[in-house]
Amino acid sequence: MRFFSQSRVEHRPPVAYVFLAIVFYSSILSANENPATLHPSVDVLIVEPASVVLHGSNRQQQLLVTGTTHSGQSVDVTRFCKFESSDAKIVETSESVVRGVKDGKTTVRVSYGILTADVPVQVQGFATYPPVHFANDVVPLFSKHGCNSGGCHGKASGQNGFKLSVFGFDPVADYDALVREARGRRIFAASPENSLLILKATGRIAHGGGRRIAVDSLDAEVVRQWLLQGTPVGMPGTATLTSIRVSPSERVLGLKSEQQILTTAVYSDGSLRDVTAAAGYSSNASQVAEADARGRVRTGATPGEAAITVHYMGQVAAVRLQVPRPDSPSPYPSLPTNNKIDELVWSKLRTMGILPSDLADDATFLRRVYLNAIGTLPKPDEVRAFLADREPDKRKKAIDKILDRPEHATFWAMKWADILLVNRDKLGDRGAFEMHRWLVEQMSRNRPYDEWVRELISSSGSSHKIGPVNFYRASATTEEVTRAVSQAFLGVRLECAQCHHHPFEKWGQDDFYGLAGFFGGLQRKKLSGDEELVHQVGNSLTIKVSGTERVVSTRPPGGSNLAADASGDPRPTLAAWITKHDNPWFARLAVNRLWKHYLGRGLVEPEDDLRSTNPATNEPLLKFLTRTLVENHFDLKAISRLILNSRTYQLSSVPNATNKDDEQYGSHYRVRRLPAEVLLDAICTVTDVPESFPGRPRGTRAIDLWDNRAPSYFLDIFGRSERLSPCECGRTSEPTMAQCLHLLNAPEIEAKLASKSGRVESLIAAGKKPDDIVDEVCLAALGRLPGDKEKAIARKLFATTSQREAAQDFLWTLLNSHDFLFSR
Amino acid sequence: MNAFCDGVDRRGFLRLGSVGGLALGQMLQLQSANASSTVKKKDVNCIFIFILGGMPHHDMWDYKADAPAEIRGDFKPIKTAVPGIGLTDLLPHTAKVTDQLAIMRSLTHGDSDHGRGYHIMMTGNTPGPGDFNSTKNNNVHPSIGSMVARMTDSSKSLPPYLSVPCFLRSGGPAFLGPSCSPFVIESDPASPDFNVRDVVLPEGIGSDRAIRRQDALREINRLERGLEAGRDVRALDTFYDKAFRLMTSPAAKEAFDLRREKSTLREGYGMTSIGQCCLLSRRLVEAGSRFVSVENGHWDTHRENTKSLRDLLVPGLDRALSALIGDLKDRGLLDSTLVVVTSEFGRTPRINTMAGRDHWPQAFSIVMAGGGIKGGTVVGATDKIGASVTDRPITPPDMTATILHALGIDPTTTVHTATGRPVELAMGGKPVLELFA
Repeated sequence: MRFFSQSRVEHRPPVAYVFLAIVFYSSILSANENPATLHPSVDVLIVEPASVVLHGSNRQQQLLVTGTTHSGQSVDVTRFCKFESSDAKIVETSESVVRGVKDGKTTVRVSYGILTADVPVQVQGFATYPPVHFANDVVPLFSKHGCNSGGCHGKASGQNGFKLSVFGFDPVADYDALVREARGRRIFAASPENSLLILKATGRIAHGGGRRIAVDSLDAEVVRQWLLQGTPVGMPGTATLTSIRVSPSERVLGLKSEQQILTTAVYSDGSLRDVTAAAGYSSNASQVAEADARGRVRTGATPGEAAITVHYMGQVAAVRLQVPRPDSPSPYPSLPTNNKIDELVWSKLRTMGILPSDLADDATFLRRVYLNAIGTLPKPDEVRAFLADREPDKRKKAIDKILDRPEHATFWAMKWADILLVNRDKLGDRGAFEMHRWLVEQMSRNRPYDEWVRELISSSGSSHKIGPVNFYRASATTEEVTRAVSQAFLGVRLECAQCHHHPFEKWGQDDFYGLAGFFGGLQRKKLSGDEELVHQVGNSLTIKVSGTERVVSTRPPGGSNLAADASGDPRPTLAAWITKHDNPWFARLAVNRLWKHYLGRGLVEPEDDLRSTNPATNEPLLKFLTRTLVENHFDLKAISRLILNSRTYQLSSVPNATNKDDEQYGSHYRVRRLPAEVLLDAICTVTDVPESFPGRPRGTRAIDLWDNRAPSYFLDIFGRSERLSPCECGRTSEPTMAQCLHLLNAPEIEAKLASKSGRVESLIAAGKKPDDIVDEVCLAALGRLPGDKEKAIARKLFATTSQREAAQDFLWTLLNSHDFLFSR
Repeated sequence: MNAFCDGVDRRGFLRLGSVGGLALGQMLQLQSANASSTVKKKDVNCIFIFILGGMPHHDMWDYKADAPAEIRGDFKPIKTAVPGIGLTDLLPHTAKVTDQLAIMRSLTHGDSDHGRGYHIMMTGNTPGPGDFNSTKNNNVHPSIGSMVARMTDSSKSLPPYLSVPCFLRSGGPAFLGPSCSPFVIESDPASPDFNVRDVVLPEGIGSDRAIRRQDALREINRLERGLEAGRDVRALDTFYDKAFRLMTSPAAKEAFDLRREKSTLREGYGMTSIGQCCLLSRRLVEAGSRFVSVENGHWDTHRENTKSLRDLLVPGLDRALSALIGDLKDRGLLDSTLVVVTSEFGRTPRINTMAGRDHWPQAFSIVMAGGGIKGGTVVGATDKIGASVTDRPITPPDMTATILHALGIDPTTTVHTATGRPVELAMGGKPVLELFA
């Protein structure tokens, strides 16, 4: 027999349950009829909680049974266990849930094969139902049964005249809605069974939402008791919910396996309650793992990482799951690294049993860096020179050269203009122009990120003179400004908290309006035409929550109140707080954006949704990049350089057997369609016929446009950003039929192919032979010399028709090819 | 990539190519002679006509015979096919089909701005503060057409949602994404050089050459290692397939070609933009599209209301609408085609000093026909000067719900915004059930 000591569980929260149980040792294979394929072989059983007290409204308890395999791995065996009550008059079991029946003490025996564990259970206070607390006991039922969801009574307009606060964030309003509104007809204390609340919820009279609660369920009993007790708000001084705790908090799982999550609510008096069945669960990577309403997680066929967010009454916690590939390479090879990024990526890949792809070849690398870093194709001569270069550090040198090109500034200004809402519709011509010009200037000077953000947040003045004030003109209300600032610079999606408690974070309305307070005095004054003066009037230490009489103090999310003696404009105080080197989000968001830009997926995804319940797929790497940005005084270009020089970035997009399913860890380059502007510019470069945008000088490139509404069918259908939300999500690379039809048939593109001043004509005019023409257009479009496939296609075309037509047709084919449309 | 998923293989192209001198589209029309289309129609589709500027309810659908002249306006009442349903004498043709028509006289929303009103009436949802007058995609909530596209299995050769003769303001998909965008026909079918962009081969590219190009394209994009391609590549390929299907599907090609209609029928619709847009819409719906939105502009009659309506605006709509309803009925398509005529708002009860009417969102009328709607119906009422709703207010979400309901789509279907917030398509609107037979 092996005794299971307390020391094994030291990392568990100290207050929680002292668990554990009785453990036997055996070979499970001999004990179990079913072979080990389904039922894992384990040596030790751990039951959580180790003992159960059912008391008051806390009338049931989920048990979680974890086995430890011979190799020391933890595995959930809850669903395979048998649960038997020693005294069914005191407690009964329903699968892994223990329910109290009447006061007393007994045990529940948990068996798994021949392993058993006895869990003492005590039932107290069942004879007289304890006082029901509306917020603690009743409101959670509305969440559990979906009554207060955004699709039902929780939506802003309510449902059929009955409105609950979404996710139960406002128990006071919910109490009024139930007890006072509609002349009190929803409850009938004298005869609880005849209250609309019970009748509707149990489906005994017509209810649009159908039957939500079984008549004889524990949940119905809580409601009934609450009514019988005269619909109390709750005893004053009743313990309030302080946090939730989940078990396990991390787990390594196999493919297609299951894991029960145990969710426990912790109250201010230290008492605990099992809320497994009442909490909500959602996965951030459903292809890897999903959880059902009872907290049961199932993994899929895809290895990877998932976080299950558990939320209960405004409290959140996350369960992090790792699903490695089943047959990891053994021994794992030692891999070359270019810099620290690679060490951290390889370390993750090793854990997950994944091998990185090979290094991309030189031509692929060069085209990729050009497109990703400056939104521009390399010219044939640049490709030739790079391929001919024999220096071992030629990639590093190329990166340095590319990052110093002027296109770097305009390309990144375009990206920031998407995030910072440089939308001509909202800003007018001059406003959009000035804001864009300012961004280009910041990028060309490579001004430290924190500096220009501070300037932007603190900016005041005329929209025709001070570019960054236009950021404030893009948003119509204080609330919109608040959302834009928190999402663009912090990656904190506070907008949920504008109306209700954030479902997956700790943020509530006070946090939203606390931040809004910094912009409460912001004003826009019309000067002339579309020129406006943006300025701050006075200092607001507090702000009223819209639609209520409540007033909250001005403070940044998670920060302290604005000092009472502060005078004038509070925005510089906020800007300083945001850009402080130890701000938990500012630098983290910036490097995550860069990582997503270059690798195609953020370490946190979506890239601007940083929250405790949305963990990074490689936290050490994200920490390292964040620290490096701060150490480099917020020099974004330095981080770009670091990423571009990593072997990880330079890996081929061709996957191997171990990494073909990986989309999270950077094991191979992610192939992506060129963004709208880059693609249009690429077509112009390859055909050598510039686009003409109305009112812009000929030769203006799409990535140089300050005007996101410059008329262009091409840019519209290929998904340039509408710049309506403070994120990169306005830009899309989602394919549509209109895009394909355009690439196939557009007269505009045909005209470029056949243009007298275009590439094909000038090659013919120069008397080039077919082979040279094919080389040249391949270099221009694909950044490489033709391969066998391209040569064969060209041979056929040139053999069938005139040289001119063949050359045009070949180029047409390239413009529709994967290798042109995508960076790979 | 299977470029020719309609079963038109390379040889098919060559054979057709030998006809010579014909555009790809025409070649395929020839081929259609052999194709049988026995697909039975069940889905209800929608032709959604948007009157841009504000449709004057007093002068068309909600005539106030007993009101003083400055409210009643200059038009006279006219008898219609249904006793008791009065229209003005601006609508002589429509008057003959009121037995197919449902008039909703109690629309109300309260936003008198064109851009926001447009957004409200295209989506059922108010966009919040801000300027929504752009002719570009500016949706905060998806347009009804985008909702329909989302709920439609797009295996047909024609796109599920089209828009003619331009992108309709607020006709975009918002968070439903570009796959629910309308396919925009940016050309006026009434104009002699009407064409649908990018659907036919560019000028100067003959069929032999097109076939050579397609062959080369298929060759260059043949996936050798399959997995290497990545998800985004495979996604684009499926749309290339759809594009080829549209280019090579005879039914789809024909649908765009108005010249295939008898000239008497074309003239019956009126050789106006609205007339030919309606005719084109019928052809598109017939060929498999589910939602076609049509815009008709210049209705913002702040001055010279009577003159503009009488001489420029209403006659075109009157002919187009009545012809569309008659044509759909003749073809047995009326039950499966919902026709909607809507606008961002109505116009002021009182005629202003410039002989015009201004914006009036408090109470106005829209009309529907077909798609299971009970003809000869009037729902809702306004007071004696047409200023406020006195009976059965209908909100824009109700309108959305009604259209979705008619199309067999549950208006309470929940979709998720970019931040994951669940919202119902019709934002809580209830279908006006008394409209349905």
